[in-house]
Amino acid sequence: MKTLMAALVDEARLVFCDAGVLIITVIAVLVYSFVYPIPYLNQVLKDVPVAVVDEDHSGLSRRLVRMADEHEAIRVAEAVPSMAEAEALVRGGAVRGVLVIPRGFERDVLEGRQVRLSGYIDASYLLAYNAALTGMLESAGTLSAGVEVARWRARGLSQEAALRARRPVGLELRPLFNATSGYATYVVPAVLVLILQQTLLMGIGMAGGARRERVTAGSTTSVDNSGHPVAQVLGRSIPYLFLYAFNAAWYFAFMPRYYGYYVPGSGRAVALLAVPFLLATVFMGFTLRGFFGRRETAMQVILFTSLPLVFLAGFAWPAETVPVWLRHASQVVPTTTAIPALLRLTRQGAGLADVAGEAWVLWILAAIYFPTACLTEYVGQLRARRHPVSTP
Amino acid sequence: MNTSSRRTGFRAVVIREWRRIARSPFHLMMLVLFPLLGGWLIVMTFGTGAARELPIAVVDGDGSPLSRDLIRMIDATGGLRVSSLEPDMDAAERNVMRGSVYGIVSIPPGFERDVARGEAPVVTAFYNAQYVLPASQIKSALTTATTTLSARIEVRQRVAARELPQAAAAHVEPITVEMHTLFNAPLNYVTYLVAALLPALLQIFIVTMTVHAYGTELKEGTAGEWFAAAGGHAVPAIAGKAVPYVAHFTALAFLMLAVLYGWLGVPFRGSFAAVGWATGLFVLAYVAMGFAFAAAAGELRIGTNLAAFYSAPAFAFAGVTFPVEGMPVAGQVWSSLLPVTHYLRVLVQQGMRGAPIETSWHSVLALIAFGLAPWPFLGWRMARLSRKPAGGGGR
Repeated sequence: MKTLMAALVDEARLVFCDAGVLIITVIAVLVYSFVYPIPYLNQVLKDVPVAVVDEDHSGLSRRLVRMADEHEAIRVAEAVPSMAEAEALVRGGAVRGVLVIPRGFERDVLEGRQVRLSGYIDASYLLAYNAALTGMLESAGTLSAGVEVARWRARGLSQEAALRARRPVGLELRPLFNATSGYATYVVPAVLVLILQQTLLMGIGMAGGARRERVTAGSTTSVDNSGHPVAQVLGRSIPYLFLYAFNAAWYFAFMPRYYGYYVPGSGRAVALLAVPFLLATVFMGFTLRGFFGRRETAMQVILFTSLPLVFLAGFAWPAETVPVWLRHASQVVPTTTAIPALLRLTRQGAGLADVAGEAWVLWILAAIYFPTACLTEYVGQLRARRHPVSTP
Repeated sequence: MNTSSRRTGFRAVVIREWRRIARSPFHLMMLVLFPLLGGWLIVMTFGTGAARELPIAVVDGDGSPLSRDLIRMIDATGGLRVSSLEPDMDAAERNVMRGSVYGIVSIPPGFERDVARGEAPVVTAFYNAQYVLPASQIKSALTTATTTLSARIEVRQRVAARELPQAAAAHVEPITVEMHTLFNAPLNYVTYLVAALLPALLQIFIVTMTVHAYGTELKEGTAGEWFAAAGGHAVPAIAGKAVPYVAHFTALAFLMLAVLYGWLGVPFRGSFAAVGWATGLFVLAYVAMGFAFAAAAGELRIGTNLAAFYSAPAFAFAGVTFPVEGMPVAGQVWSSLLPVTHYLRVLVQQGMRGAPIETSWHSVLALIAFGLAPWPFLGWRMARLSRKPAGGGGR
């Protein structure tokens, strides 16, 4: 108990009296929560510029151009006489796609022949590609439907019957959850979980590096080279758990309301899942910090891992497509399990029972990383014993 | 320190820096092992290229031959896999909550009968819009499946009403659009994401390690020794320190290009010279920015913090996951302050599209500006800091 208290006080001093650790665990956590969502705040991509090559110059072709321009996903930025000119515009990046209306378009439609338009879309940017594709297909589809319904009506069907005859099987697509299909509400809730983990690992590593620098600089204290490792790890975890309880509350309770993606009724389940997530992350941090010789090392090493980890967490890139061995291996990192589980709780209104499997994985991770953290502490004590204890 | 007996100048600084790098296992990790490991993980994650079949649940309220036809067609679209047949919506929703399926297709009771009577029954599809890529895959696959079934039924009805099959097909869809993909055919996520992620990964290492190269001199109080090796002049001191990093990271960047265009088969239509020069400028820009952060902070720790803040979220701002035009003004400004944004633009314009060179001069000028602007400030600031006897390690 004495060791535990001494370790707690010592670690708290390493955290709260070190501007570097505080920048990571408090300021960065706050700043990132406002900076990271900035690119996505407009939520959806609208009015992607496309060019039109109208070879028909008819009433119907002009109607199609107007419909494309009015579609919310695209706007007709340029009308050019030939495909060569249109392609130059795409190459230069002025437009993302080209819609070609062939000569004889109106005549063929009126004579009942099937008409084929051509769409060319720049696929070098995926989101703009999707917007241009949707815009072209839907505006052509709307015109096509209008033509077909008009034909049915010419045969004496009512408007309603004509609509039914046109589509013998209807399809209604309904979004579950993220109803606006917004990009911020898609990316932000997941990335916030990753920021929690990464800053926590960096903070623990930085404080550990500072402690090790203290030993190599010859100012070893008795908290560095003695005391049962279990009591040491438990005591040293407490400042982080305390701090990250606040950070997690900020990220899971305040930010969803601030960005307007809050789903009521998820609070208790999120809190219960956050416990094993934070425990696993803290003990992982204590395990890793044995490898960080200096105060800055942890940040330098952990920084790059965020990029691969984002795409291994299954939200930006479907987990089904990741090779099976990599999916299993990536479970050593808490976010791989915690992000999908927390998304279901906070965004879909799932209950604790729905994430029971993930909760188990996180508790198992915590159970694995606790003894390894104690081992790291033990090795650190052996190292510290080689240095003389300085007088306080 | 009296250095008159030793050789001083640019070469001495380069040799000194090379020895510092070779001495420490930390440099081996951060300059070689971790960049390769990170890049390899990213390539492996996207290994399969296109998204594979995604699991969905079906609630078949009809249980008729026609509803089973539809289920088979959904299963056959390529994008989707019917992983479970559920008796009711509640059971299907549990699957969504547990995360085992991305969506539910509900076929109403009396589906076949209503189709036969021409009452146009509606199939309802619920898709998890929280997952953007799977959501668009579900929408397009189901639209394809139902329109194909619709067209088949309608043609059958029209032929039964004595229309010629060809005329019937023209009536079903009077206007169609044939879509062609420019520059990235076949539409491939590997091309799209990996080609942007690897440069984003590389810039993290460049900034971190150049901050480290300069910051450790201050932290360990060896900046005086470094300047002494340069004969006390700022230009050879800074140039000699930068050269090993520029050379090493340019080599890594060219390895990255070889992986992208050679191994992964990212389409390349443009000029190798343009992409090569832009790659060199990209590395130079980040080396300069890294030194600038270390010099501005005056110590390793804060410098590393600045580097982290600058490089870690850069991927989100680079306009790949969400286009720059769609960002709020603050996002557009920050995006333009990141060399990686400009570099990725050159890669797309000169690599993928083979655009005329003048399309990219904006981006190239920006890269040159990032690579050149910081040096005068660096010379002044580093010379000042190195005159301090002990390093400001920051306690």
